[in-house]
Amino acid sequence: MKVLFKLALRNILGAGLRTWLNVGALSFGFVIVIWMQGLYEGMLQQMITASVDADYGGGQYWHEAYDPYDPLSLEDAHAKPSAQLQQEINNGQATPILLVSGSVFPHGRAQPAVLRGIDPAQDIINIPASSLRGNEIIPVMIGQRMARDSNLNIGDTVTIRWRDVDGTFDATDIEIVHIMETIVPGLDFGQLWLPIEDLRKMIGTPGESTFIITRKHYTKPNINTPGFEFRDLDFLLADERAIYQSKQIGGSIMYIILLSMGLLAIFDTQVLAIFRRRKEIGTLMALGMNRFQVVSLFTIEGSLHGLLALLVGSIWGIPLMAYTSIIGITFPPEMIEGFGMALGATMYTSYAPSVYGITLMILMLSVIVVSFLPARRISKMKATDAIRGKTQ
Amino acid sequence: MKNDIIIKVKDVTKKFPMGGGEFTALKEINLDVHTQDFLGFVGPSGSGKTTLLNLIGALDTPSDGSIRVLDKEIETLKHREASQFRKTTIGFIFQTFNLLPVYTVFENIEFPLLLSGMHLKERQDAVHESLEWVGLLDKKDSRPAQLSGGESQRVAVARAMVKKPKIVLADEPTANLDAENSHNILKMMAKLNDSLGTTFLFSTHDQKVIDYLKRKITLMDGQIVNDEITTPKSQGE
Repeated sequence: MKVLFKLALRNILGAGLRTWLNVGALSFGFVIVIWMQGLYEGMLQQMITASVDADYGGGQYWHEAYDPYDPLSLEDAHAKPSAQLQQEINNGQATPILLVSGSVFPHGRAQPAVLRGIDPAQDIINIPASSLRGNEIIPVMIGQRMARDSNLNIGDTVTIRWRDVDGTFDATDIEIVHIMETIVPGLDFGQLWLPIEDLRKMIGTPGESTFIITRKHYTKPNINTPGFEFRDLDFLLADERAIYQSKQIGGSIMYIILLSMGLLAIFDTQVLAIFRRRKEIGTLMALGMNRFQVVSLFTIEGSLHGLLALLVGSIWGIPLMAYTSIIGITFPPEMIEGFGMALGATMYTSYAPSVYGITLMILMLSVIVVSFLPARRISKMKATDAIRGKTQ
Repeated sequence: MKNDIIIKVKDVTKKFPMGGGEFTALKEINLDVHTQDFLGFVGPSGSGKTTLLNLIGALDTPSDGSIRVLDKEIETLKHREASQFRKTTIGFIFQTFNLLPVYTVFENIEFPLLLSGMHLKERQDAVHESLEWVGLLDKKDSRPAQLSGGESQRVAVARAMVKKPKIVLADEPTANLDAENSHNILKMMAKLNDSLGTTFLFSTHDQKVIDYLKRKITLMDGQIVNDEITTPKSQGE
């Protein structure tokens, strides 16, 4: 086998430009496949980090009627937390959030909105809630997307309307005091952030919350939380993971196209080589190589293209991957919003060694298979015909 | 030992499928070849010369009859055994040289030794010795495409001889060479036949080759029509 490797290496290096063209095409496929996987992995990491940081914390206690996909559920999804759960809030391990369906009337237009009450003093999630302070008029914070969509700016006064706990419509003016930048679209689109105590007063639900966000790395103690259920990060991040997977499936079509390009180059070279090198194959048999060895030689030659592609790919791919992992790639905001995920303008690739080990193994196996398939034809060749370059 | 029977061909017939029927290339051939013979199968195209060489070289198997080369019954060899037999016992020289194009002269000659697993130092010595036999030491780093026809065939001879096989089979070795190169190659092979005791079997219809033969076997329509000991005309030149 050592001899076959030696011969195969001599053969492919001797083939010169043809070898390097194949290696180039294959290394392009290899690097892009791995790089794109890194990009998707980085997106997932960024989504998780941003969502945990600004929204999920270490998990949430949900009111049992709360359904984030059903705005009508908000009407009933609020209650006072149990004493033990309130103790968690008082101990600084959690912060309450109250959600109420309402409308906002920017520049005379009606626009549905969720009124989101938060404690301005909280430090559980990374939301600039401290800006919701000290005004005669209720201070409200909105996200940049909401500001853009509703054409609202800091200092603008706008009317909001809601239904209180008895079902009576009420309205008041609020003032936009802060426009926050967040990469989590769910905390931005159609959301008005205001002090939770103001919101409780507005709807007449003192001390009540829709859900309670716990601090990062929170371990749920053994406490009674009647009316509230704890949702851990596995539960809360299910949507992000589902989005990631759907994007990954879309990306895998790209992998297949890129990989196919490289593999096709190898397959084509092998088929052509077996046709063009018939006389050589016959000579190898005459000199004492058996068919298995000749098939192995051609398979190794094809596979060595894969190994060389890995080497060449490492030379130009590792710096590229390192660059996008450290410096990141900046996409236009419209493109990012099109993803529908919690992503910043700059994305960073992330590489998990096990994932890439498996990916490389799959890539190399694919190369070996496409190298072997055409080489099988050699085993049907008659040495006497091959020596004279005769086709079968 | 000289005059020992090294190849025994007995009642060999070889048929090839052709269209719906069969073409008989060799009909009941009987032949003994002795150690250090320098013999040629002579005859027109289609007379069965190359087929007989291929059978003796275990590149093909007879349809009927038996071929014994040294202690091997060719028709009973399995594919791997036949490869092993060719690797250790037979040297091949082809009409079109059949050098491996991406290898240098040195690497082409070294190739059979690599297959047999010989160590580097022994390999290098053997290749140098072969290059000296054929006078191509100065071309050892050239590629086949940089060689003339005569030089290419000398490399092919060196490759066939480097493992010092008992038998060399040469299929129309001078067909692509001019007169001068043909004589040079044949002289060199005759010398190796004398000095190393190698048995040479040629397939040819080239008078230049025939002039060097010590034994001429004439084939016609797949049958031996004449088997004669000859005095090489060129030996004394």
